[in-house]
Amino acid sequence: MRETRDVMGMPVTIDVRDPGVPPAALADAYADLRRVDERFSTYRPDSEVCRIDRGELRPEDASPDLRLVLDLCEHYRRATRGWFAARIGGRLDPSGLVKGWAIDRACAILERRGARNYVVCAGGDVAARGHSGAGEPWRVGIRHPVERGMVARIVLATDLAVATSGTYEKGGHVLDPGTGRPAVDVLSVTVVGSDIVEADVHATAALAMGRPGLELIEDLDGYEGYAIFPDLRATWTSGFDALCDLTAVAGA
Amino acid sequence: MKRAITAVVATVAGVLWLVTFRVTPHARPVASAPANQPPPAQDPVADAPAPAATPRPTPANRPADGTFTGPTIPTRYGDVQVRIAVSGGRLADVSVLRMPDDRARSAEITQYVTPVLRSEAIQAQSARIDVISGATLTSEAYAESLDAALRQDHLG
Repeated sequence: MRETRDVMGMPVTIDVRDPGVPPAALADAYADLRRVDERFSTYRPDSEVCRIDRGELRPEDASPDLRLVLDLCEHYRRATRGWFAARIGGRLDPSGLVKGWAIDRACAILERRGARNYVVCAGGDVAARGHSGAGEPWRVGIRHPVERGMVARIVLATDLAVATSGTYEKGGHVLDPGTGRPAVDVLSVTVVGSDIVEADVHATAALAMGRPGLELIEDLDGYEGYAIFPDLRATWTSGFDALCDLTAVAGA
Repeated sequence: MKRAITAVVATVAGVLWLVTFRVTPHARPVASAPANQPPPAQDPVADAPAPAATPRPTPANRPADGTFTGPTIPTRYGDVQVRIAVSGGRLADVSVLRMPDDRARSAEITQYVTPVLRSEAIQAQSARIDVISGATLTSEAYAESLDAALRQDHLG
């Protein structure tokens, strides 16, 4: 049971392989993603995020979900030594965390409906649970930044999240919180680990850091990273190869 | 566990898929011949058979080997320019000549980025991919300069 819908301004794919899960599970998950978008979108003038940004709503008067997200943003700002930030240049934009958080909620909804083997992919961030078939891991491709129809690596994912942040991402740039300028010296950073929010936030932070960004991931227990630079060279953390299907590497 | 290693992503036939980026109309790509080969008899932009390095039959529009420099694309943060090297009809290397941020060319990281270029891209279709992480490339200065360099050599 696989479906792709446009939600939160991006294609969201949900693929459930458990036979007994009702189609309503997917509908519920998509409905929740829409609710998250209404509350957190930086493109909807009436969203809570935009109202806080304009000073019309005090954070302490916002919904519990919004306060939770702001708390998480603050937690990750400290955890990444400032490289992840929900406020850059005075503007509130928690999107770097909200996408992963929304995927996590969708996973919880699917789990409540009995799903154990599924993927949720929103705008290139992937949460993969269980297996794609009998004992088979999910095969998650890391998109090649310039070659259409190609992937740079294949991650074999069972209960893993794969998050990619890129300067090539649709919908804008990742900004360096220190300078407010777009991060340009890395094309993409992929972070793989158990938690989608953790992976997503650290991919964004590592991209903002630029070349040394992977050191942040190397130091993060249980997470691995893969970065592609504008000269189309790649580098990765010490445990990344072990997560990949290396037999699929062409020309090796 | 220690430090990252590396390699490369570049390459390839798949470059034929790259395209559709806007190329700034006023900027003209500059071709440069490789130092160790005689320069091509014709402007590589012209639609003529490339000087073939091997006798095996190749399509008439096979890309010429050599280096090709994309135009400088101005952005509000500075100029972006890339140069590509084509070898055996494949994209063999990409050099970043200009980037707004000097970190892009920092020498510090060369210790864990190997200088050897290795073809590593995988056809998503043939590799039974369930789902893809990452988004599509949008028109950016980097893509524009790269794309112009590729078009110049019929790779784009």
